[in-house]
Amino acid sequence: MKNIVKAVMLGALAATAMGGVANAAGKTIAVSWKTFQEERWKGDEATIKAVVEAAGDKYISSDAQGSAQKQAADIEGLIAQKPDVIMVVAFDADAILPSIKKISDAGIKSIAYDVQFEDPNALYITFDNVGVGRIMAKEVLKVKPEGNYAFIKGDKGDPNATFLFQGQLEVLKAQMDAGKIKNVCETFTDGWKPDNAQKNMEQCLTSTKNKVDAVLSENDGMASGVVAALKAQGMAGTVPVSGQDGDLAAINRVALGTQTVSVWKDTAQLGKAAANAAIALADGTAIDKIPGVAKFNGGKKKVEMNAILLAPTPITKDNIGDAIKAGHITKEQACAGVKDNAACK
Amino acid sequence: MAKRTAKKTALKVVKKTPAKKASAPKASVAVARGTPLVEMKDISIAFGGIKAVDHASIDLYPGEVVGLLGHNGAGKSTLIKILSGAYKRDVGQIFVDGKEISITNPRDAKANGIETIYQTLALADNVDAAGNLYLGRELKTRLGTLDDVAMEDATRKVMFKLNPNFRRFKEPVSKLSGGQRQSVAIARAIHFNARILIMDEPTAALGPQETAQVGELIKQLKAEGIGIFLISHDLHDVFDLADRLVVMKNGKVVGTAYTKDVTHDEVLGMIIAGKCPKGAIPGPGALRDAA
Amino acid sequence: MSNTPNTSQSPAVEKEGPITRLLRATEIDARILGMAAALLVIWAGFDIYSRLFSTIGFDSDGLIFGGSFITPRNLWNLLNQTASIAIMSTGMLLLIVMRQLDLSIGSMLSTVAVAIGTLQVFRLAPALGEGNRAIWIIAVFGALALGSFMGWFNGVLVAYARIPAFIVTLGGLIAYGGLAWAIIRGETVAPMDSTFELLGGNVPQYSLGVFWSWVVAVVAISGIVYSIWNSRRQRQRFNFPLRPMWAEWFLGAAGSVMVGLLTWVVTIYPWAPNVIKQWATDHHITVPAGIEDKDGNAICMAGEQMVRCVHGYIVYTGYSIPFMIAVGVGLAMSFVATRTSFGRHIYATGGNPEAAELSGINTKKLTVKVFILMGFLVGIGSIITSARLNAATNSLGQSNELYVIAAVVIGGTSLSGGIGTVSGAMLGALLMQSLQSGMTLLNFESAFRDMVVGAVLVAAVFVDQLYRRSVK
Repeated sequence: MKNIVKAVMLGALAATAMGGVANAAGKTIAVSWKTFQEERWKGDEATIKAVVEAAGDKYISSDAQGSAQKQAADIEGLIAQKPDVIMVVAFDADAILPSIKKISDAGIKSIAYDVQFEDPNALYITFDNVGVGRIMAKEVLKVKPEGNYAFIKGDKGDPNATFLFQGQLEVLKAQMDAGKIKNVCETFTDGWKPDNAQKNMEQCLTSTKNKVDAVLSENDGMASGVVAALKAQGMAGTVPVSGQDGDLAAINRVALGTQTVSVWKDTAQLGKAAANAAIALADGTAIDKIPGVAKFNGGKKKVEMNAILLAPTPITKDNIGDAIKAGHITKEQACAGVKDNAACK
Repeated sequence: MAKRTAKKTALKVVKKTPAKKASAPKASVAVARGTPLVEMKDISIAFGGIKAVDHASIDLYPGEVVGLLGHNGAGKSTLIKILSGAYKRDVGQIFVDGKEISITNPRDAKANGIETIYQTLALADNVDAAGNLYLGRELKTRLGTLDDVAMEDATRKVMFKLNPNFRRFKEPVSKLSGGQRQSVAIARAIHFNARILIMDEPTAALGPQETAQVGELIKQLKAEGIGIFLISHDLHDVFDLADRLVVMKNGKVVGTAYTKDVTHDEVLGMIIAGKCPKGAIPGPGALRDAA
Repeated sequence: MSNTPNTSQSPAVEKEGPITRLLRATEIDARILGMAAALLVIWAGFDIYSRLFSTIGFDSDGLIFGGSFITPRNLWNLLNQTASIAIMSTGMLLLIVMRQLDLSIGSMLSTVAVAIGTLQVFRLAPALGEGNRAIWIIAVFGALALGSFMGWFNGVLVAYARIPAFIVTLGGLIAYGGLAWAIIRGETVAPMDSTFELLGGNVPQYSLGVFWSWVVAVVAISGIVYSIWNSRRQRQRFNFPLRPMWAEWFLGAAGSVMVGLLTWVVTIYPWAPNVIKQWATDHHITVPAGIEDKDGNAICMAGEQMVRCVHGYIVYTGYSIPFMIAVGVGLAMSFVATRTSFGRHIYATGGNPEAAELSGINTKKLTVKVFILMGFLVGIGSIITSARLNAATNSLGQSNELYVIAAVVIGGTSLSGGIGTVSGAMLGALLMQSLQSGMTLLNFESAFRDMVVGAVLVAAVFVDQLYRRSVK
């Protein structure tokens, strides 16, 4: 049995290698999605499908419906269809590893899309999460180069909360070591919930007697809570606040001046980059020769893998026009109640 | 059919009027008036395919005590719960004062003057005596709020009649003794001018002295013209208090008899074997040859 | 009051301690007293801890005992932060007393919040014009109606379809969560209508202020005195045993002092300097010159305290709107629970469902009504939460059901039904929020915070069990 499988795999490998060199079009790109319950993945799928089909390749996919077991079965099914590349949005980063091994055993290339799994043969494509933290800190630092900083972190169970915080500290380290910036409050927020962030910020303001000069909130939802707490003290608009996600309400706050930056990860950009990388891999390009690939070992187990880390876009009051132009938000939504922003005129 | 039975008994009663029992003439007078206070006709109910009550008919006249006898599971409690509205019958009719009425829930029963003292007492343990007494028909002030003071006042009065030593008006009934709880349940049943009273094992939790007290109460209520269904395991109780008795077995009526027409042993025979003696009118549940 | 187990009137008059004697004479529920004591211990503990160990150098303004917990500002915040959970806990109390449960309230809150959020921002504002007075009224009624409707739906499934409440509302927890997400697709709606926002109490300018806060206090104290006098008069009329006169005086005095203290605390909480500055500018108020402290902040005297102000101009906050709503709901729900036949039926049904049914109570209808009431209160909760945040998103209210149930249980409510008080549930909510706020204030790690709150929940039930056994 094992031998038969091996023979099939070798056959597939040979076919891939030969076909890859000879012909660019007619490849098959497979994607194993973890779920379509969150709307964003449908958007990602549309982007990837469009790019793949435009290149004359075939797109196949499966939906694991939020189950690690189903995803393992899905991947076996995809392998059976002999694609050239399998892209995986892992539901469980550890449980997926045996399936990834099956993919490479079958001679198929694998891509970790947005969610990292630590397999040295796979290509990891995501936004630079530590970078998001760095951008937040950079933008806020521009406004408040020194003073008391409050850190409203995300849920303690989410590793991203810590990644983001690390990125922020990298940027602020010099000023903190010099005693210019003081960490006056630092708290995790249960479930990334805005109302919890509001309570946390209220307590922070109470304990510091309002002596807070800047707030690094790790996402836009929590930023809404932070801004509400600042508003009660008449401090909204004077204290810089960060966020991420490009929430429509957050972009409006940026236009109003109550939030400084919303770091926006344009998932269409991610989908496009992943699809192009997949096509290149299918065409036989070596993994480390794909444009934008660098070594990355920032995962849990420090496994070194090839990765494409996209830089997210900071939306500030200066480039709101871009988000409007990109069709991410309408002018009415972005500019509700705004009097003095250039893009709103 | 039930009506015919009633007529027959009426004849018999008239024949045997000069009996020693003081209550007998009263009953016969009531019977002579013709219309029973309550008549349950051809009642059936089944639970999951098992016929708990099978075409049973019983009746009750004003000022009469009718004892219901039978083994556990004979259907007597179930039959009576249909009258009190706890269960909804599958078939059959219920008449009060000769008029057919519909009883589908306890509210309907109460509206027709039918009150019940359940074997379990059916008290809300976390609520005090007054709260239980008035449960479901609370007194209100002009503003529509609970008039706790007036309810407590009335409760103190009615409880004084039943149990003069009772003082614990502020405590939830879970803290009361068995006898005290029983008096609360009885007080609730008699306080609202019931015309028909159902007593399901009213003396089960009581000592001999309290049992005697309940006996007195039943006699007093009878004198006021209230009709009483008395369900009991205790033959002596029934013979002491009831004018008439109905025996049930396997959901069917074995027979109906005046207590003075039958002996203890005959009644035991009805309960255990379904054998209907001479002094009784056989029902559908009686053994064929005995009838 | 037949719902609360009162102390016995005919106990053996053995040697009893002063506390036992006080409890017996005043008929105060020992549990409520115990909880109030626990609350004071927690507050004092945080205050002392913050004074001894807090690493943050704070200045001395607005401190009462020198710590940073018992300060006008923190207590004012605490009351605001507790309002929504406290309001919903009164409805959950009645459900649990009736042996029911509603796990769906968190998701219901999300759904109502995003529904009225999108309604006012995307429908009403464009149609009626931003800032139109009708918007907030429609939004409020919409929230109450939608909440009640969802409660009704839960109630009908429980009472008439006879699906256990645990299952119905567990389904609701999941399904309404999905519904909230579907309405808004994971986005955040903000900002709310500017009048609607005031209901969240996050705009200090629209709190009650000093004068009206004291008016409220006077009304409250009059109410306490009247109710004590009235109940004594009623009992006299029927010749019932009376409380000793000193106990009546004690109750009246204790109640009045508490109202007075609370009012004093909220009326010495000044507006934030920036808020005053803005207000003064907006209303063309010329502010007299003040003194400056060493940091250059203007300071004023507020009673004995030195506080920051804008050059001699200072305005105090007073009771906030959510707090007043919570107090109103608390009084109304207490009234419903103890003074109406509706409440009496709920308690009786919880004590013995079969007995209630046999007494002629339509327990099905009653169940539906209580679920509707729960939904209505969730509507109020969603108004306050979304107004306070000035934004609505589907994560709002998530896991609130756990905090509400915890508050009810900490408040001495028996999960087996029939026993519990509205004031207990609301105090439970305040106690839990005190723990959370206090630990956040002192920068305790959030994992530690969760451990403490969970442990307190279990400990509270344990102590309650001990108490109940000792009373028996």
